[in-house]
Amino acid sequence: MKTTPAWILWFFTILIFLLSTRNPSYILFIIIGLFFVSFRLFKQKGRDNWIKQNLIFLSSIILASSAINSLFTHSGRTILFSFPQSWPLIGGIVTLESLVYGAINGLIISALFLLFNVLNLALSIKQLTRLIPRAFYPIAMIVTISLTFFPSINQRIREIREAQMIRGNPMKKISDWLPVLAPLLVSSLEKGLILSESMTSRGFFTSKPSHKTTFPVITMIIGAFSIFSGWILSLYSYSAYIYLPLYILGVTMIFLVLNRLGKAVKTTRYHQEELRKYDMLAIVIIILVILFLSLVSIYGNLTSLNYTPYPSLVFPNIELAPFLIPLLTLLPIMLNHHDKN
Amino acid sequence: MKSRFFRLTIDLFVLLLGSLSLLAPFIFPKTTSPMVSQSSFPIMVSLIIILCLLILFIEAQTSLLDSKMIAFMGILIATNASLRFLENAIPGPGAISPVFFLIIISGYYFGSRIGFLMGVMTMFVSGLLTGGVGPWLPGQMISAGWVGQFSALLRPAIKKLNWQGKFGEIILLGIHGAIWGILYGVIMNLWYWPFIGALPGQGWLNDARLAINLQRYGVYYLSTSLLWDITRAVGNIVILVALTKPVLRIFDRFNRRFTFQFGFERER
Amino acid sequence: MIKIKSLTFQYPGSTKPILRDLNLEINPGTLTLVTGASGSGKSTLLRCLNGLVPHFSGGIITGNIGVFGLDPINQGPEVMAADVGFVFQEPEAQFVYNNIEDEIAFALENAGIPYEEMHEKVSKIIEKLSLKDICDKNIQQISGGEKQLVAIASALVGGKKLLILDEPTSQLDPQTADNLLSVITKMKEGLGLTIIIAEHRLERLLPYTDNLLHLQSNSSLIFGRPREVFSQIDQVPPLIEIARKLQISPLPIKIEEFPQIQIEHQDSQNLHLSAEAGKSILSLSRVSAMIDQNVILKSVDFELRNGEILNILGHNGAGKTTLLRSILGLIPSSGQILLNGINIKMIDFHNIIEQVAYLPQNPNDLLFADTVMDELRITLKNHQMKMDRFDMEIFLEHFGLREKQDDYPRDLSIGERQRVALAAIMIVKPNLVLLDEPTRGLDYNAKLALSNLIKDWAHQGVAIILVTHDVEFAATLADRVIILENGQVIFNGHPISAFSKFQAYQTQTARLFPDRGWITPEDIRRK
Repeated sequence: MKTTPAWILWFFTILIFLLSTRNPSYILFIIIGLFFVSFRLFKQKGRDNWIKQNLIFLSSIILASSAINSLFTHSGRTILFSFPQSWPLIGGIVTLESLVYGAINGLIISALFLLFNVLNLALSIKQLTRLIPRAFYPIAMIVTISLTFFPSINQRIREIREAQMIRGNPMKKISDWLPVLAPLLVSSLEKGLILSESMTSRGFFTSKPSHKTTFPVITMIIGAFSIFSGWILSLYSYSAYIYLPLYILGVTMIFLVLNRLGKAVKTTRYHQEELRKYDMLAIVIIILVILFLSLVSIYGNLTSLNYTPYPSLVFPNIELAPFLIPLLTLLPIMLNHHDKN
Repeated sequence: MKSRFFRLTIDLFVLLLGSLSLLAPFIFPKTTSPMVSQSSFPIMVSLIIILCLLILFIEAQTSLLDSKMIAFMGILIATNASLRFLENAIPGPGAISPVFFLIIISGYYFGSRIGFLMGVMTMFVSGLLTGGVGPWLPGQMISAGWVGQFSALLRPAIKKLNWQGKFGEIILLGIHGAIWGILYGVIMNLWYWPFIGALPGQGWLNDARLAINLQRYGVYYLSTSLLWDITRAVGNIVILVALTKPVLRIFDRFNRRFTFQFGFERER
Repeated sequence: MIKIKSLTFQYPGSTKPILRDLNLEINPGTLTLVTGASGSGKSTLLRCLNGLVPHFSGGIITGNIGVFGLDPINQGPEVMAADVGFVFQEPEAQFVYNNIEDEIAFALENAGIPYEEMHEKVSKIIEKLSLKDICDKNIQQISGGEKQLVAIASALVGGKKLLILDEPTSQLDPQTADNLLSVITKMKEGLGLTIIIAEHRLERLLPYTDNLLHLQSNSSLIFGRPREVFSQIDQVPPLIEIARKLQISPLPIKIEEFPQIQIEHQDSQNLHLSAEAGKSILSLSRVSAMIDQNVILKSVDFELRNGEILNILGHNGAGKTTLLRSILGLIPSSGQILLNGINIKMIDFHNIIEQVAYLPQNPNDLLFADTVMDELRITLKNHQMKMDRFDMEIFLEHFGLREKQDDYPRDLSIGERQRVALAAIMIVKPNLVLLDEPTRGLDYNAKLALSNLIKDWAHQGVAIILVTHDVEFAATLADRVIILENGQVIFNGHPISAFSKFQAYQTQTARLFPDRGWITPEDIRRK
């Protein structure tokens, strides 16, 4: 089993890889790997059903994007058939290349979908909530409280609905739901008061609204704008000497602000996750792979990532270094195999 | 006054930044490095939207969230999340989503901050609960957040027209609900746009002109989400018309009692 | 040491102070019981001790309070949290986390205590309160009593000097309440705590109480040893009421202190006569019900006639609420249920609810209108009935609500709100009424009002099923008692047997005078 830091690193590595390449071999491999991983993680009943449903869903996405793309794009050399030019949007040739391109898009979407699915299966709600940075402690508190109260509110809805039904409410029109919504809202609001009393009595304290808000917010704004401008400039091929510093500036400012805000939060955390041996191993492996790939891409000449079916279809090639990342998809399974805990 | 002006500026900035990133595919089509642009769009747009959310979070935390507010919002959001799952139980066609009702009403009554948080957090929490944390979440969060935030704008308008408590209030809120029912869908689609992988043809090509891009987006939108959005808009109107007045009254009463917490429950 | 000097407090928007010039001294290590009618200021006073009043509530406060060297009025609840723990009335509304250990550690997290220390303190308090067995369960899954134990642990973790509890057992059944209270009293010795607890259930705590603090409705207080205070107030537990009646002095605080006295055996004069055989309103034969593949009710039989008050007793989970829901047809059941002679499977829900009224455990669930009058109108409209305003006012008079007919129901007191809910369901003049735990959170006066209403309805021929744990209350009303255990009826008979023979359900009177057939103080006639 793996803990949060390991999963998160794994997740982002694969995510960024997915969004940086259009090579279908890699993506297909990732999809298959993700299927295996989710199969392993899925602990509830109905596993096979889930797999089947997902397969159908994803296949339809791939087919749909493939079809749509081929109908609307008219480039490529291998012509399959064509519509009259006069038809709006559809008019023109339908090529194999555009079909493949569309299919690749579908593959990417499917991979993203599966990736997030795995994340949901791997990490519990609590673990996900604890990912919220220190700087956002009040927000994290709100999320925690909502999650805690959700079941009891659901229960209340049932109880109130029953009570009103017995009183004769037919529960048919929208306005018939007011007798449920109103007591629910009022009791929720009242509960809120008691909860805040309980929290305050146990020392929960956030600083009163102050005008210290100005500085962090402005820094964040400048940071965000800096990153945004860096991006736009990069799109227009301005020199890397201009947009990279903008990126770095933005990221640094944001980190500084969040760090500072985080330090201001004096609370400690009771529930700690221990990094276990296999998690450390996972993290190390992933980092090594990333470093290796970065080195190779700077000094070597990687072409497989930039695959595109246009102008005429060629078979997608696979290079070793980039292929390591799709291999990483299977890392959770390989580690679980050894880690019998 | 000064802080209100400040808040307004921040809201505008976030709105601007957010919209620019969402509309980037249309505004910046003529990019010169195709590979960079295609892959960077989903990542960068997500990043910037998330940053926008973070900015507003920080602002809200320091200006609004004390222990009362945190508990209050936590429970209100849990309530709204429950209602979201209830949508299967409410009779009616298609995607009538009761979740926007509370977002709009809270934004209208309590202000833009709370409206924004209601929208964002309802989506986030219900995402967590359904195991539905996905790449759509930031887009959902900010769209829902804007629904709540903009509802607060109606307050001064209705005050000026002196329609408080009258039918006019309900009509205006209804229209607002309808517009945002559709707008929410539009923004969500803009969000998906770069993820759909920039389908050339149903997407943008580097050498496309603005008009053609818009045309393609139009087709995409019409074929995928217009129907849902119309249902949502209609649902919003129906629920708002039926339930606005009584719920506003509940908020009124509660507001009055807010300062007498324990006063009326046990002490009389 | 807790010292209060000239304390006066007024809520914002209120016209007069709720606490007026109070003076008080409480020694460390004592258990102080706070009593008084609803609205007398108990909760307010308790909250003054940890700073929630006035920091949280607003309002105007004058006077001085010293709590173990700290000043709650000026320092506020965040500072007081280091030495004072507070437990509230509703178990559910106090928790932030789903996990028990995390919840207990919450107070420590807020104080910024380092991880290792936190762990140690949490383990310590879990052991002290014997929570080890439920430690890894989800807070949502444990019972109300266990939740309050967790709340106490969360309030006490890290070592506190003062524990304040605001009606902690009002939502619990007597068994659980007893357990909780005995845990609390044990803690006093074990942890050297000072305890201040507001309660209506005086009986169980009195043997351990050092001081009794009674708040009068005129905002003054009586403070002293229990015996002394009781001699000055009217509303007392049955034990003391009987002692007064029989002029026993000194007033006994525990059952054991009650002297052996000889009382002439009188003819049990028509005590708790069953209603005359009237029309059968409800008849159950071999009724069984299942929920989620668990058998909840097993072959339940009984009959209820008009004018009869039936009390259903049983532990939590014995099937009482399931039984009520079966009667309403909300859950499928096997066997036969006849309502006014007709099988409920043959009538639709719409008809059932015209004849049966149901008061849920939380009467607030029903209230959503703007005025009391509107609540009545809503039920009438639901059933497509009409009533003119004058008749409705007369109806409200019956409930003591006529003057409040235009009030917002949520603004009323707990007892009044319950009566509004009752009025709203009784307005359709049902011939069977189901009351589900109606005495929760009610003080003496409110219970009296409820009891009178129930007696009135019985006189008018309405059949009533009263599900309650409050045996003292039920003993004054019931014509017949059914005890459910694990879904089966283990007793169906006269209240005198039920409330004297079953140890779990004995009233104080029955315990004092076993085998006499007396179950309430009224049963004892003076010579």
